[in-house]
Amino acid sequence: MVARCSTQWKDAPGVSAQASAISDRAVALAQTDGRAWDAALLALRDAEASAGADAKRDFALERKLEAAAAAPLEIASLGADVAALAAAAIDNCEATYRADASAAASLAAGGSAAAAHLVRVNLGMRTDDPRLAHALASEQSARDVAERLGEPTR
Amino acid sequence: MTRYSSLPDAELVRACRAGDAEAWNELVERYSRYVYAIAVRGFRLSDDDAEDVFQDVFTRIYLRLDTLRDDSALRPWIAQLTRRRCLDALSSKGREAPADDEALIAEESADLADVEEAYAVREALSGLSENCQDILDRFFAQDQSYRTIAEELEIPSGTIASRIARCLGRLKQELEGRNEGAEGSRG
Repeated sequence: MVARCSTQWKDAPGVSAQASAISDRAVALAQTDGRAWDAALLALRDAEASAGADAKRDFALERKLEAAAAAPLEIASLGADVAALAAAAIDNCEATYRADASAAASLAAGGSAAAAHLVRVNLGMRTDDPRLAHALASEQSARDVAERLGEPTR
Repeated sequence: MTRYSSLPDAELVRACRAGDAEAWNELVERYSRYVYAIAVRGFRLSDDDAEDVFQDVFTRIYLRLDTLRDDSALRPWIAQLTRRRCLDALSSKGREAPADDEALIAEESADLADVEEAYAVREALSGLSENCQDILDRFFAQDQSYRTIAEELEIPSGTIASRIARCLGRLKQELEGRNEGAEGSRG
């Protein structure tokens, strides 16, 4: 919206196209996330209902939970991208829309943090997992941008 | 990449007419995905039927290239040949022609338009710098994040969005230039 409304900004159509592509990806990922989590939930309930140790079942559950972490990992990354796009917009868009760009970065940082949290939960206690590190880095990146764009001097 | 890869269609047609085998290879390479996309995406033919159409279309191109009146109109000519062969393939499978042809064309014209647009974008992309082609492909086709693009291309992450926007601007210019050229050649 910020780019679309900034008619004097030469790169606005290109930024708008990127925002649109990211939005499409986010919708698809949210649907994938829902399906993966449903499958993981079924596996969790199956494990809870079963008595005793079952290596095959535990392995299947672990795989389902890992799959359930994949979409949030990408969503966390998309959040960082949205924040970066907002940063590119805020310095070039029409002044009227700067607050909207800053708001977009804040929302993206929130989404990225929520997605990183889901990655952490779905990967369990594996704090040294590179996927978790990647999600946390995305969250940090989005938050840094949002804080910078939200500074009162802007 | 061959010495014919960057040759405009009209010059490629002339080289094919002169019997240059390498030019023929380039023509097939340049239009094989296009023909296949019309057959599969536009007319939803099976892989086997699409393969038959593919073989037949390129045979006809080979045999009838001399009948092409405007050398720069190679693509629309190939599109027309392909559409006709697709309709023949559908008719032979039991779909009535020509009454159903119009309905079929109307029903599938949106898909064909998508194929045309995709091909036009692909052509326009080839007119951009390799850097632009690469970064647009990474973001829009491979769905890479800015961070991944930045790491793999070793460029600052904060500049990716602007770079992509500028490359899109050039792609737009390229597309508009081609459209103007196409309109001019028709007049």
